[in-house]
Amino acid sequence: MKVCKIKAYSDSERMSTQALFQLIYEKVQEGFCDFEIDACGQHDIACALWAKKKNKKLNFKIKNPGQRVGAMALNNTKIVVEGSATSDVGWLNSGAEIVVLGNAGDTASHCAASGKIYIGGSVGTRSGALMKYDPKFSAPEFWVLKNAGSFSFEFMGGGIGVICGYDCDSLKSVLGNRSCVGMVGGVIYARGNIEGLASCVCIKKLEKEDKDFLLNGLKKFLKEINKEKILKELTQFNDWKKIVPIDSKEKKKNIPVSEFRKNNWFREGIFGDLVDDTADVYALAQSGAARLRKPVWDSKNCVKCDICLNNCPQKAIVKDEKTLSYCAADEKCIGCAICAAVCPKQVWQMKKK
Amino acid sequence: MAAVKINELHKCDLPWIIEYDESKCIQCGKCTAACSFNAIKPAVVERKKSNSIFEKNKCEKVLIIKQNISLDNYCTGCGMCANVCPNDAIKAVRNKDDKYSVAYRAKKADSLKKGGRSNLNTEGRTLDKIKIGRISQMTDPSLDATRHTFEIKTPFGRVLSADKLNFEVKNGKVTPTATLPPNSWIYPVIFGDMSIGAVSWRMWEAMAIATAYLNEVMGIPIRMCTGEGGIPTSLLKSRYVKYMILQIASGHFGWNRIIEAMPDMTDDPAGILIKIGQGAKPGDGGLLMASKVARYVQEIRGVPKADLLSPPTHQGLYSIEESVQKMFLSMNAAFKFRVPVAIKVAASATSVSVYNNLLRDPYNIVGGFFLDGLAGGTGAAHEISLNHTGHPITSKLRDCYLAAVHQGRQGEIPLFAGGGLGQTGSFAADVFKLICLGANGVFCGRTILEIAGCIGNDIGKCNSCNTGKCPAGIATQDKCLVSRLDVDTVAQNLVNYILATDFELKKLMAPVGCSTLPIGRSDALITVDKHISNRLEIQYAC
Repeated sequence: MKVCKIKAYSDSERMSTQALFQLIYEKVQEGFCDFEIDACGQHDIACALWAKKKNKKLNFKIKNPGQRVGAMALNNTKIVVEGSATSDVGWLNSGAEIVVLGNAGDTASHCAASGKIYIGGSVGTRSGALMKYDPKFSAPEFWVLKNAGSFSFEFMGGGIGVICGYDCDSLKSVLGNRSCVGMVGGVIYARGNIEGLASCVCIKKLEKEDKDFLLNGLKKFLKEINKEKILKELTQFNDWKKIVPIDSKEKKKNIPVSEFRKNNWFREGIFGDLVDDTADVYALAQSGAARLRKPVWDSKNCVKCDICLNNCPQKAIVKDEKTLSYCAADEKCIGCAICAAVCPKQVWQMKKK
Repeated sequence: MAAVKINELHKCDLPWIIEYDESKCIQCGKCTAACSFNAIKPAVVERKKSNSIFEKNKCEKVLIIKQNISLDNYCTGCGMCANVCPNDAIKAVRNKDDKYSVAYRAKKADSLKKGGRSNLNTEGRTLDKIKIGRISQMTDPSLDATRHTFEIKTPFGRVLSADKLNFEVKNGKVTPTATLPPNSWIYPVIFGDMSIGAVSWRMWEAMAIATAYLNEVMGIPIRMCTGEGGIPTSLLKSRYVKYMILQIASGHFGWNRIIEAMPDMTDDPAGILIKIGQGAKPGDGGLLMASKVARYVQEIRGVPKADLLSPPTHQGLYSIEESVQKMFLSMNAAFKFRVPVAIKVAASATSVSVYNNLLRDPYNIVGGFFLDGLAGGTGAAHEISLNHTGHPITSKLRDCYLAAVHQGRQGEIPLFAGGGLGQTGSFAADVFKLICLGANGVFCGRTILEIAGCIGNDIGKCNSCNTGKCPAGIATQDKCLVSRLDVDTVAQNLVNYILATDFELKKLMAPVGCSTLPIGRSDALITVDKHISNRLEIQYAC
């Protein structure tokens, strides 16, 4: 069957998106599979379409599309945009192969869930955001010849992003600033400088299977965008980095403040030369130096009745049988004042330490 | 038994009554040992052995725990006895019918002094009647607090308006033609300003460690204001001084040591804060009771052990113009015009005039205006000042901000607000709301103490910072009590609290759609109170 060519505008009028789609629906029902659309900014071209005969492939060649070209496109759809496309290329891509020969605007490949998106130039901000991988289908791939704008691959949940950084040596970061914020799954391969990555991801070295994947993928990608000549330049794998989310088990914990104090703070503390502080931490009721008050025994009125000794809850009171004198042992006495309370002769006085 | 007479102090006159259950007490003595106020004591009392009328005179002596009936050693409700009791045998219960404040004045012919907070709270809290009501949904994208990145920073230092910034292009680089006022980007929460003396050395060091940790490990550029009680020389000469805002108040305590350390300082301090007044007790100077003037405090401050009353004003300053000339110029000169110099005043009916005057400062040397509201805390104050003087922070902050807005000069002198933030447990929300009303940031003291373990509250519990008997080891210089405080735990808790606050700030910034601080974005706020809506010029909602 022949190619269906549609010019979506005339000298005086632009065809509405709805009218263009009605025409495409009719042509698909007639059995057309190949379309060449000379568009005039109509949105969502090739959105959620399938051929009349099952397993037949739909092919679109599009000039000058509007936003969301290839959005929600299905498996067995191939789209080639001649030139650049504006934002949301391949939004929610569900299996299509989408090629943009020029640049793509913001949020390219946003939420792509399967299929392949090939961009022959740069992509704008938030590209690759929320890509995901449903194991029932093949993982989505998103190939970009040059660089991505800031916030790229935000909240990425799965799939593969490849940013080739071609002709981008002057850029500080081929992923833009604040890339990979909230990324929890998937993998990104990037060639060139990277700066401002979110803390939830880490950079790893390429393994053999990564290199194999890139080599095969690049061959196909460069063929699609007619740049096969640069394959050699792009397959110097030392220039590449692999970015993956940090495993939550690997996430490093902050050092405890006590360790910081031991390693970085003043050995004797900042008050070391001003106060005599042993750095012990006292309990609310503790013997020895921690006591707020301590009992002092005076022999004058003592009748040696031993009531204090028998009532001391800490068994801290010691009686010297030779001299018949009493004292409260520092290492046991907590300063509760029970000895002073029970003494019939007020022999024990509580002294503030 | 002694006869009880009516004109004596009785247990029922005291603000807290000890509830003691003899049947549960094992007489371990821990409660009396732990009580820093000496408000309870063991005592021997007589008990009838039997109720039989034939054995009427058979009594026995038993040991119990009793409350001291005294104006000086009385229970403040701190709860340490209940905390240490292994058997739940003792606790302090609030006495609604107490006459302590009458009795104290009647017996002592002296004003009552308190520490901590005002306990009157008749004015209610404006901030709790404000909600963040402008949520980005279809209007503009809201953010993800957990995963997006935020810049929670605010300028500290004089910001020049665009027309006063003169630049030229030199060797291909944009270069200012004149020296610009010093300015730095700091976290919008400042620890402070509590002096060495008002708080214990361990408490002060824990704040300093938490500040250093947050800066150096977490990358949060928080600053700590030293309060005016000197700074340890070791700290002055270390790199950590760059996180410290040095305070100078009317007592100028500790400044000779700062000046002497200058030749050996490797880094500039973060700023200077000239304290003119304090929200908790406006019109009063600092007050440090003799019980807290420990030997090292005497040394740093250059004073003997005595009640230290700083003058209510900086002597030699009689007008706003004069204070600009003397304090601001000198403090700017002290660090060679490299360090922002800010001023702290108690919120007052006159604050806007002061702010307007400072905005006209021709030398561009006013680096910040700190406004302290009446719900702020204090180490010590006369209760009459604490409960009856001052001005709520919210409307005064708003007035100052709007005064600047009406001149097109908002943001030129950064505004910092404080006083009772976190009072009802929502510190981050308080910070956020004040920022939306025009604050560049906040400073906080009492929340920090509560994080550290302070057990006081706004309805009369403890609030004894003035006595030097702080049971938590925070507002005392008694070595036994200070040693109850674990520096590492306090510093860790402070760090954790700021990390939690940082996240909570994001949880409020995100739905408003701001990745930077929404200073003056009062459109983000609504209130269900018509008067607050009118007064603060924010949207009324119902």
